Amino acid sequence: MAKLLTEMLKGTLEGIILASLSGRPAYGYEIRARLREQGFSDIAEGTIYALLLRMEKRGLVDVEKVPSEKGPPRKVHSLNARGREYLEEFWRTWSFLTERLEQLREGGK
Amino acid sequence: MSDVEKSGFISKVIGPKKRWREYKARVKELPENYRMAVEAIERHLMHFVPTDGDSNAAMFEDLADLFEQAAAHGTPIREIVGQDPVEFSEVFAQNYSDGGYVPARARRRLTDDIERATGQDAGKDRKTA
Repeated sequence: MAKLLTEMLKGTLEGIILASLSGRPAYGYEIRARLREQGFSDIAEGTIYALLLRMEKRGLVDVEKVPSEKGPPRKVHSLNARGREYLEEFWRTWSFLTERLEQLREGGK
Repeated sequence: MSDVEKSGFISKVIGPKKRWREYKARVKELPENYRMAVEAIERHLMHFVPTDGDSNAAMFEDLADLFEQAAAHGTPIREIVGQDPVEFSEVFAQNYSDGGYVPARARRRLTDDIERATGQDAGKDRKTA
């Protein structure tokens, strides 16, 4: 079960992170803490960080370096217009997918 | 930094030496076990074929960022790299290297070759038709 969940999460993790950022900006550690609260406990911080870097490169998030009391400056990520567009597309795709899967399940009964 | 250095083999693999030295200095400052983890990941990342020296240097700098922040927060190493460090490294490397052991030109070649093959497909001489 846990393994299947990990596999299925892979393709959706980007959308999950963008959705989490759509509320308010956050830095990597914070995003992971938020996702944990929502029950996504198995996602490594490094994986989230790597995806954030990718989104930054693709221009879906804006990044601001904010000094912190302890340790290095934090890279705070916020969703920009392009990111919002991408997130909308993600939800549309998600709806399509869940609908079809539900149909398959009904059909299989 | 000279142009010679910029175009050399070493700088293609690790990026400009100055940036590499700065990265190494940052890693040295990390707590012992974090340093060990970074060096292990660093070794693994070396297997990926970089697109260019600059993006490869950025890869190691971003890796140092991640571990510095994690060390500051006291995030355990296992929670940074997850249960599968190989997969973590691969997701990480994908951002900088076209994602794999295969050089970019080999990917281009495959794409081009298939293109040519399918182009012929639509053409006249289908042997098995």
